[in-house]
Amino acid sequence: MTALLSVDNLRVAYADRSGERQAVVDLSFSVEPGEIVALVGESGSGKTATALAIMGILSSNARVGPGSAVRFEGRDLLTLPERELRDLRGRRISMVFQEPAAALNPVMRVGDQVAEVALVHGERSTTRARDQAIAMLDRVGLPDAATRYRAYPHELSGGMRQRVMLAIALLLKPALVIADEPTSALDVTVQAQVLQLLLELQKESQTAVLLITHDLGVVAETCSRALVMKDGRLVEEASVDALFHAPCHDYTRELLAAMPRLVRPRVVA
Amino acid sequence: MNSAVLLSVRGLRVVHRSTGLLARTEQTAVDGVGFDIARGETLALVGESGCGKTTTARAILRLIDADAGTVRYDGKDLLALRGEALRRHRRQMQIVFQDPFTSLNPRHSVGAIVAEGLIVHDIARGAEAEARVARLLEEVGLSVADASRYPHELSGGQRQRVAIARALAVDPEFLVLDEAVSALDVTTQAQVLALLARIRAARSLTCLFIAHNLAVVQQIATSVAVMYEGRIIEQAPAAALFAAPQHPYTRALLDAVPVSDPRDRHVRIPLAGDPVTGRARARGCAFFPRCPHPLKNADCTTAVPPLREVAAHAFAACIKVHTNLETT
Repeated sequence: MTALLSVDNLRVAYADRSGERQAVVDLSFSVEPGEIVALVGESGSGKTATALAIMGILSSNARVGPGSAVRFEGRDLLTLPERELRDLRGRRISMVFQEPAAALNPVMRVGDQVAEVALVHGERSTTRARDQAIAMLDRVGLPDAATRYRAYPHELSGGMRQRVMLAIALLLKPALVIADEPTSALDVTVQAQVLQLLLELQKESQTAVLLITHDLGVVAETCSRALVMKDGRLVEEASVDALFHAPCHDYTRELLAAMPRLVRPRVVA
Repeated sequence: MNSAVLLSVRGLRVVHRSTGLLARTEQTAVDGVGFDIARGETLALVGESGCGKTTTARAILRLIDADAGTVRYDGKDLLALRGEALRRHRRQMQIVFQDPFTSLNPRHSVGAIVAEGLIVHDIARGAEAEARVARLLEEVGLSVADASRYPHELSGGQRQRVAIARALAVDPEFLVLDEAVSALDVTTQAQVLALLARIRAARSLTCLFIAHNLAVVQQIATSVAVMYEGRIIEQAPAAALFAAPQHPYTRALLDAVPVSDPRDRHVRIPLAGDPVTGRARARGCAFFPRCPHPLKNADCTTAVPPLREVAAHAFAACIKVHTNLETT
């Protein structure tokens, strides 16, 4: 099987007042089609910079080092012209952000934001795009989707907004979704709903997911393989089972030891 | 009432009012909350965003006004304190906030931040204050040299240690920890939690620990109160609550916590819907719209279920739990 995404020797540096700060150093990994891979690390580990580099949406003070390559479906995203990148984004590769309140357009109806993805990628009929958006909003569990289509983001709860984000990201059944802390801003009962929805949609559309998180519980719950980053470097890569039961790197052991673990009740229904 | 009770809250009610151009809105953030905290105990107040846990703490600390209820601290009526008496009382109860980035004055050095309480409460000045600040910084795992640094030079964990030192400076008996470890990375969070547990024991502190992370709560709380839409719906000693949660919301909350081992993955039916806040509350149980097992007859929708003792020291506000208890 050829990898869907392969990142080779990725280096990302940010310019700041005191010079350059290395955010990602010689990072290499791959994601297979349909796989759910966790990218785990604490703040400043370089996990978000990695995601932004793959998507080609790093801020202007960031620089990708020479020798870096990000191959996706046979093409190097780092050298692809912006026009071709735009064609891939939203159609073959998409992203879910932590804060749906910040990622959604506050002055555009949520349904139109979903339909826009279809219209940008070749759908000529606004009616068909609209129908497609309503069907997707319904699929992600937005109650009364046809009416809520006309809602603005501020009229929805945080959980509902994140469902809208998933609808946007998965409308065109992309090959890869990069989800950056998709449930970290949500309450725990809503997190459980959104994670379950993400897994269902992933299965339906055979989409691979690169799930970026600081929460090892989310990894244990959803992923098959995990990459652990610290200070911009990959320190461990393993199946999730091996990671939790036979961690190799000291830092992984430290993370696992620090993880708050709930001793579960035996609930008798 | 137990003689060891330090803080006793009864019928606490806080209404948030906003006056807009077109309409005045009122929202009852805290509605009839009551609990006791015994000396040396740590009560965790848990619940999802908007359930009223932070508002409850702020009303107890007199940072905001309560609309009804009583708060007694060591027998003293806190809500009646005014002026100088209130100011003197503030020494007894201190708070550590969630975000050490916004809760520390960026223009003050660490030393000045920690010393402020000493000066305001006329505890120490000059060299004596400096010596105390040095001891406090060491107590929270920082060094004397950190006194001359500024908040932006510190990591999140170090800042939270400064916030803890500031709270301890006036030698309080009671500490409110409002999501004090929630914004920290997991390795830092474990260190700060261990520090808090050490300090609590060394100083025999009584704590109100506000948190949404139940795994963290399990590590530090001696008893737990679960809030939902402004009311306490379950309260019990920590061991009992985690071993045998009674209220369906508490069960759902515990079930929603991600597993800590991939081998423990299980099929779960997540609670539907969101915690509804800011809307007109139904007449009955606030949890009814999301409840997976409501009673078939109309009881759940006609009256707010009272918090009733369902086992030794364990209280739940669920008509179904109450009914099951009566029939068995």
